[in-house]
Amino acid sequence: MSQPTPAGLKSSARTYTHPGLPEPADKDYAVIGKSKPKIDAREKVTGQARYTADLKFPNMLYGKILTSPHAHARILSIDTSEAEKIPGVKAVITHKDVPTLKYGISPARWDENIFCIETVKFVGDKVAAVACIDEETCYKALKAIKVEYEVLPAVLDPLHAMDEDAPQIHPEYPLNKNTEIHQNFGDVDEAFRQADYVRTDMFVGNRTYQAPMEPHTATSIWQGGKLTVYSSTQSPHYFQYYIAREFGLPMGDVRVIKTYVGGGFGGKLEPTGLEFAGAVLARLTGRPVKMFYDRAEMFAHNRGRHRQYMKLTTGVNADGRILGVHADFIMDGGAYTSLGIATAYYAGAMLTLTYDFENYRFDMNRVYTNLPACGAQRGHGAPQPRYAFEAHLDNIAKDLDIDPLEIRLRNARKPNTITPNEFVVNSCEMVACLEQARDISGWADKKGKLPAGRGIGVATGSFVSGAGYPIYRTDLPHAAAMIKVAEDGTAATLYTGATDIGQGSDTVLCQMAAEAMGYTYEQMKIVAADTETTPHDFGAYASRQTLMSGAAVKEAGDEVRKQLLEMAGEMVDLPPERLSVRLGRISAKDNPEITLTFEEAARTFFVQKGPLMGRGSYAPPKLGGKHKGAPVGTSPAYSFAAQVSEVEIDEETGEVAVLDVWDVHDCGQVINPALLHAQVHGALYMGMGESIWEEVRFDAKGKIQNPTLGEYRLPTALDMPRIHSSLVPSYEIAGPWGVKEVGEGATLPTMGCFRNAIFDAMGISVNSLPLTPEKVWAALREKRKANGEDIWDPMACECFLE
Amino acid sequence: MYLPDFDYYAPESLTEATGLLMQLGTSARVLAGGTDILVKMKSGLLAPSALVSLKNLHELRRIRWDADRGLAIGALATHNEICNSAVVQEHFLSLSEAAHKLANNQIRNRGTIGGNLVNAIPSADLPPILIALGAYVTLAGPNSSRTVPVESFFTGVSRCALEPEREILTEVVIPPQKTTGSTYIKFGLRRSGALAVVGVAAAVTMDGNVVRDARICLGAVYKVPTRAIQAEQVLIGKTWTNDLLEQAGRTAVGCCLPISDIRGSAEYRRDLVRIFTRRALKRAITQGHV
Repeated sequence: MSQPTPAGLKSSARTYTHPGLPEPADKDYAVIGKSKPKIDAREKVTGQARYTADLKFPNMLYGKILTSPHAHARILSIDTSEAEKIPGVKAVITHKDVPTLKYGISPARWDENIFCIETVKFVGDKVAAVACIDEETCYKALKAIKVEYEVLPAVLDPLHAMDEDAPQIHPEYPLNKNTEIHQNFGDVDEAFRQADYVRTDMFVGNRTYQAPMEPHTATSIWQGGKLTVYSSTQSPHYFQYYIAREFGLPMGDVRVIKTYVGGGFGGKLEPTGLEFAGAVLARLTGRPVKMFYDRAEMFAHNRGRHRQYMKLTTGVNADGRILGVHADFIMDGGAYTSLGIATAYYAGAMLTLTYDFENYRFDMNRVYTNLPACGAQRGHGAPQPRYAFEAHLDNIAKDLDIDPLEIRLRNARKPNTITPNEFVVNSCEMVACLEQARDISGWADKKGKLPAGRGIGVATGSFVSGAGYPIYRTDLPHAAAMIKVAEDGTAATLYTGATDIGQGSDTVLCQMAAEAMGYTYEQMKIVAADTETTPHDFGAYASRQTLMSGAAVKEAGDEVRKQLLEMAGEMVDLPPERLSVRLGRISAKDNPEITLTFEEAARTFFVQKGPLMGRGSYAPPKLGGKHKGAPVGTSPAYSFAAQVSEVEIDEETGEVAVLDVWDVHDCGQVINPALLHAQVHGALYMGMGESIWEEVRFDAKGKIQNPTLGEYRLPTALDMPRIHSSLVPSYEIAGPWGVKEVGEGATLPTMGCFRNAIFDAMGISVNSLPLTPEKVWAALREKRKANGEDIWDPMACECFLE
Repeated sequence: MYLPDFDYYAPESLTEATGLLMQLGTSARVLAGGTDILVKMKSGLLAPSALVSLKNLHELRRIRWDADRGLAIGALATHNEICNSAVVQEHFLSLSEAAHKLANNQIRNRGTIGGNLVNAIPSADLPPILIALGAYVTLAGPNSSRTVPVESFFTGVSRCALEPEREILTEVVIPPQKTTGSTYIKFGLRRSGALAVVGVAAAVTMDGNVVRDARICLGAVYKVPTRAIQAEQVLIGKTWTNDLLEQAGRTAVGCCLPISDIRGSAEYRRDLVRIFTRRALKRAITQGHV
């Protein structure tokens, strides 16, 4: 059936064999693979858990930031004298009072100042800050600061940001080009020449915002020359690094502590400005300063999903095998870089993963606009291009009269292959995911056979299990861990820099520690995400912690077990290799009569040798190719997923009801099934929100129109479909026990999956996100008009009102 | 988003409450749930120097049926109390259903019918069904009280007939009627916590398949909730058919003047008025309850 490969064109991936340990035959695990309750569940549900904003310190002041009311303006003068006279105002600061060193999270483009110096670049840009005895006084002080602006023309349309006559936002970046990418792998032109069919489609993504439940907060305290910052953060390490850099402090004099965090989703990975302003205010006043954003300020600070304009051209042969792809994108970056360089590279890099094609070109311009800066949001740059590609592929399948699931099976990536952009893929159950999604969704019985208004769609996704390289250049390992067993052996504490932001890393890492040690999960304690007491870890982003932090934890746990069994061997007079330990019981492998408890051996160890401790660290192997931008998208391992969704469309109003979603994931060995499925539900929820409801909207002056949870419509529980979260057996050779990511991957297929289900139901293509009822309504009317149907015009009826 | 300073009063009687309003003048506002006014105060849209809470006026919370007067709902009844009231469900189930469609559960637990009416936003969910059912409100002043039909209560966006410096809306009354079916349906952009893009209430009096009387009220498509009288006239005296309902729906579009905003374009809203008017009429005619 399959056609021969056209001459002179590579059409399938190179293969690769990972040198790591093969899959073990015995997977009789005692602690991992089980749905243990979350280690912090009791604290959270009883309200005992204290988030950063709950912390109070003696003499603490409250701080707020004054922001720009204009999208683009020159600052002519700032007069803080009236504000300083208000009783209760302890400090007022502007750019004159803070370091002028530019910062950012992406070292290649540090382009932010703590406070604007010459111009403000979006509505919400930071101009000044106050510290006062209470919150109310802060607002009075902010009102009393007089800023004189000269309003400048603004760039609000990313498609015109690169025009010769467009206003320039950063003088260092002509034509408002923040990041320009041209990558070329194989021979795309030749692929298109040899293809039986070439199609081009254009899609538009939407600006969305992470909208974490907990607002950004930071409390800064100076003790002598040492700065401590309590922060709602995804990465204490990056905060520590950038705060230390900004103030010229040794990293050892900056301590960043994460408390409980109510969600991040990418928006809390980089310093928010609250840390810098708070540190200066705390220094000036000699008092702790608590800074925070309210909901509208969170939307203005943003760092959410970029809006992308995505042109895709694909050449296929007659049976639908992809020969070459050209992705040509423009991205609205907003006023600053944030994580956007990586976002821009991710947007193209991740398109090569789920389908096997060898000829690929990626062109991208990330442009500056006078809108809030965009950054990393769950799935980073990948979900919108994935939506575009999955929609594009369905268009091709329809043109060639191939079933959408079948065209995906024909192109699905195989394990132990290398992508054209040099990503090494070890485990990959893309085919099994598609087949299971097909079977459990009843695809064969539904496709083309559903009643009017109903449709079914399929899409795929893949994501990194941790980034192959850190955000700034360093040779630090990516993760490290320590375990200290209590003196009497009744508890063990895991010290890790890994960052639990609600996703449950504290829980799965304690499960992994207990499994490695031969201990019980219930006896584990954890100290995490405090740069002073816990070992280094880059934090919660790029779905990295289960694999990377887990590898460090496993090594630490293995070291504890080894020392424990040596001690036990001395106690029972057996060589340690003849002993094993499981769930706190030590036994001889060939003599069940000989037993000893973990506690007994651990206590004896402490008496004789001092603290029983284990250490571990993890650094990924060198990954990726040599082309420009090659590091972005590299990872030790990739997850794969297929989603099928069934929708029902109101043919008159365009309303889309999602009835069922079947998500089948290849995520390697599962540590905690309950948490894993919860991650799938959460990722799917976010994907759904971006698909149909969520969009940050701006007025003609660049001001956000909907910075509230009333008008920025996250879906509610009532909007959720039935979710069927399923797994395929999988083992990843590069991960401890064979683990891979799950937290972001399930966001990827969702938008394209819904678009394809709507396409199946109604034969209409909505080529921009979100797939709102009004867009579906408009597309349905266009289709009826094109079919020659008589459409009633609601604008042309008789008006009875005066 | 910080609540400014204000004086707070919680009078024990209606007389005391209206007296306070007279004494405090235009800078005072009534607090009856707070789901609208506190948000407006936090965002700086309103800055009353005093709030007069009605929470101690327990008699304003009652919901009663009287064969002569009809259904009387105290202004302090919350949306969830209306939604879950057996008396409301027995006599005007459609009002209970409308209350359930309003906002989200948290707001339905706090917000009151009186507050919903006095707030007077065009997209409010209760006015259309109250107007379709011919309800009136009682406005109590210091010495006397007056009644105003809900239909003429609204005078503009966030404006109503209440005189805020002396009057308190105390009750909403739906008179006994011959209506055979009524309903309120809305189009919101999610299933909970969404303002109406379009809301349509219909009340019909059927004689077999013949429409003896019909009242249609449109929400969110004009500066005030508005009757679609010309659409009603399409129906009255006729035997209902799907085509007739469609014709009424198209006519209703001429009875409104929606704007384009972030929730929908004028063109989309107008088509939704057609669709929802037809659907509301069909439900009111066929579902067999008021």
